[in-house]
Amino acid sequence: MGRTGTKRAAFVLLMLMAALGVVCVAGAAFGAVPVAAADVLGAVGATLRGAQLTPPQALVMNLRLPRVALAALVGACLAAAGVLYQALFRNALADPYILGVSSGAGLGAALTFAAGGTGAAVLWAPPLAAFAGALATILLVAALATRRGVMETLSLLLAGVAVSYTLAALTSFVLVVRREQMSRIVFWMMGGLQGATWQQVGIVAVMLGAGLAVALVYARELNIMLLGDERAGELGVNVERVKRIILAAASLVVSAAVSVSGLIGFVGLMTPHAARLVLGPDHRLLLPASVISGAIVMVLADLVARVALAPVELPVGIVTALAGGPVFLWLLIRQQRGASL
Amino acid sequence: MSVGLRYEAAAVGYDAAVVSGATFEARPGEIVGLIGPNGAGKTTLVRAVTGGARIFAGAVAVGERAVGSYSRTELARLVAVLPQTAPSSFAFTAKQFVEMGRHAHVSRFGDLGPLDHAAVDRALALTDTGSLAGRRVDELSGGDLQRLTLAQALAQDPSVLLLDEPTSHLDLNHRLQVLDVVRSLADGGLAVLAVFHDLDMAARYSDRLVVIAAGGVAVQGSPEQVLTRQTLADVFGVAAVIGTDPVTGTAQVLPVVRSEATTVAARGVRVHVVSGSGTGAAIMRRLVLEGFEVSTGALSADDTDGAVAGALGLPMQEIAPFASMTAQDEAAARALAHIADVTVAVATPYGPENLGNLRAVADRAGKTVLVGTMTDDMDFSRGEATALWRGLTDAGAAVCSDPRDLVRCIEEVLAR
Repeated sequence: MGRTGTKRAAFVLLMLMAALGVVCVAGAAFGAVPVAAADVLGAVGATLRGAQLTPPQALVMNLRLPRVALAALVGACLAAAGVLYQALFRNALADPYILGVSSGAGLGAALTFAAGGTGAAVLWAPPLAAFAGALATILLVAALATRRGVMETLSLLLAGVAVSYTLAALTSFVLVVRREQMSRIVFWMMGGLQGATWQQVGIVAVMLGAGLAVALVYARELNIMLLGDERAGELGVNVERVKRIILAAASLVVSAAVSVSGLIGFVGLMTPHAARLVLGPDHRLLLPASVISGAIVMVLADLVARVALAPVELPVGIVTALAGGPVFLWLLIRQQRGASL
Repeated sequence: MSVGLRYEAAAVGYDAAVVSGATFEARPGEIVGLIGPNGAGKTTLVRAVTGGARIFAGAVAVGERAVGSYSRTELARLVAVLPQTAPSSFAFTAKQFVEMGRHAHVSRFGDLGPLDHAAVDRALALTDTGSLAGRRVDELSGGDLQRLTLAQALAQDPSVLLLDEPTSHLDLNHRLQVLDVVRSLADGGLAVLAVFHDLDMAARYSDRLVVIAAGGVAVQGSPEQVLTRQTLADVFGVAAVIGTDPVTGTAQVLPVVRSEATTVAARGVRVHVVSGSGTGAAIMRRLVLEGFEVSTGALSADDTDGAVAGALGLPMQEIAPFASMTAQDEAAARALAHIADVTVAVATPYGPENLGNLRAVADRAGKTVLVGTMTDDMDFSRGEATALWRGLTDAGAAVCSDPRDLVRCIEEVLAR
C-alpha cells in the first residue's frame, strides 16, 4: 500500500467503526421496550464507574448489550471466514455456509449440547467441538472438489452442498436421539442470538481475535495467492503452509460464531463481496473492512429479527437468508458471465 | 550477482520423468535459449527450478546449492520467473501487481521500504510500463499484462531469470523491447534461461541454444552450431533453409516443407527444374509435395532456388557463388535433365552463370514445360537465352502461363 492507500484505508476503517458504533447504540435502544440512546450510553458509563444501574440501564447491560455485542462478533466472524475462504479458493461464491463448514461446526456443537455437562465444559466444549467439525468439513469438501490439483467452482459448490446435507442429517439424528434437548438445539440451529451472555461474548471475542490476528499477518500472501498457487510459490510464498494456517484460522472464527448462534447464512458471502466491489481485492484493507461490515450487517439483521414481528422474535438466520439468497443468485449469474474476483 | 543455473543429468517431470539426463547451464551474463518441439519438456525443465515440476534424478542447482535446499523465500530472492500463462483476472492495480514481486524481500510484519519502491520503479521503467501503474490489471491487454509480469519478475531483483515464451503475446515492437531489456540485464550479469518458440528470436538473442527433443538434450551450442538443416530436420521434422539475418547477422530459419508431407504418394515421375533467383523455389516445393521426384541445377547454394533445393535434399549440380557455369557443370545438368521424364524451364534472368542449364534441355522440347514468358530484360546472354527459349517453343514445348496449372501441364506432356 502506498501512502495514499494507507490514508484511504485508515479513513475507510474509521468510518466503518463509527457506523458500527451508531448501529450498536441503535441495536441496544430498539426492542420490545424502547430505551433512549442516552440510557444506552449512560448504562455503559455507569457500569464503568461501578454505579448503581437504573432499570432501563440494567435492561441494556444485562440483555440488550450482550446480545448486540454477540451479534457484532458473530457477523465479524462470518465475514472474516468468508473473506478467507474466498481468497483461498479464488472463488467469490465460497462462504462458510455454502461450503458446509457451518454445518460441520454445527454438528460438533450439537454433539456437545446433546452430551450436556457442567461448569467450564458447557462454556468451552461447544466452540471447541465446532472447531473440530469445521476443520474436518473444509478439508473433506476441498478434497472432494479437487481433481488433479485443480478445484472447480461447480465441484466445490456441489461438494459443499452434499456434505452440508449429510451433516445436517447427522445433526437431526442427534436431535432425535436426545429429544429432551431438542427445542434448545433446534432454536440454536435456526440461527438466533437469544440468551446471549457476556461469557459468550468473551469466548467469541477471544476466538475472533486469534483467528483475525493470524489472518492479518498473512494478508500479503493472500493477495499474491490470487495469482494462482504456482505463481505465488514463484514469488516466494510457501503456499501449502499459508493454506493450512488460513484454513485453520477461518475454521476457528466460523466455529466461534456457530457455537453461539447456530447456522446463519449469507453474511459471510455478501459482506466480503460487497466490500471487495467497493474497496478492491487488497486483503490488508479488505479483511478488516469486511469484518467491521459483517458486524454492522449482523447487528442490523438481529435488530430486524427482534422488531419486525415484535413481540414475536424471528431467528436472525431467517432474516439473513431472506436478504442473502437473491444476492447469491445475482453473484452466481455474474460469475458465469466471467466477472473477476 | 554471480549465481548461475545448472542442470546436472537432471530427470524432471510430473508423474514420471519427461526429460532425462539433461546437463546444461546458464552462467551469469548469458542468455541460454531452450528450443524444441511442443511437448518436448522445455517448460517442464523451467518449472523444475521453482518446484512446479518434480526432479526425479540428477540435480538442478542455483549457485552451489540444489534448488530443493532453498526455502521459498530464499529461492524467490535469487530466481524470478516469467510464466507462460497469464494470471487469472483480478482487480489489483498494475503497481500493486508489480509490488508483489518484492514479497520475498519484505519482512513478515513490515511493509515495502524505500529499497523496495526503488526496485519496483526500476522494473516499471525497464519494461516501459510506468504509464500503466494506476490501471487495473484485469482491464489490460495480454501484451501489457505480459510486460507487467516481467516487471513483477524483475522487481524480485533476481540473479537468475527464467522466461517461458517471453514474447508470446507481444507485438513486434514490444517483442524486441522486452528481449533487448533481457539482453542488457544479461550483459549486466543476470543468468537467463528462456524457452523460445520463435527460432529466429532464439538465434538473435541467445548466447547458446539447448535443443530439447525425444526426452533429453538433443544438441547444444552456439546458435550457428545448433541451427543446422540437419537439426531442423531431425528435431522439428522440417526441411528448412538456414539463412543469415541480413540485419543482425544471426541465423535465420526459413521453413520450406514439413518432412512428413514429402513422404506421401510418390508418383514415380522424375521432373528436372531449370530456374534461378527464387523463381523455382515454390515450383520445386509444390512438385515435391505432389509426389514428383525433383532434380535441379546447376545452381549456387546462395541462390534462393539452390538453398531451397538443398533444404529439400534434391539432386542438384552445385556451383560456387557468382561463378560461371563450366562445361562440366553443364554436362552434369544435362545428365540430370536427360534421366527426367519431364523438364520444367522457368522464365528468369539468364546469363553466363546459368545459361548452360537452358542449353542442357534445348534438345528436349517434346518433354518440356515452359513456365512464364521470356522477355528481353531477362536476357543477359546477348540474345542466346531468347533464342533457346524460342527454339523450345517452336519445337513444341508445352507453355504453362499460370504456374498453378503446372501439374496439369506436366501430366499433358507425360501423356504425349
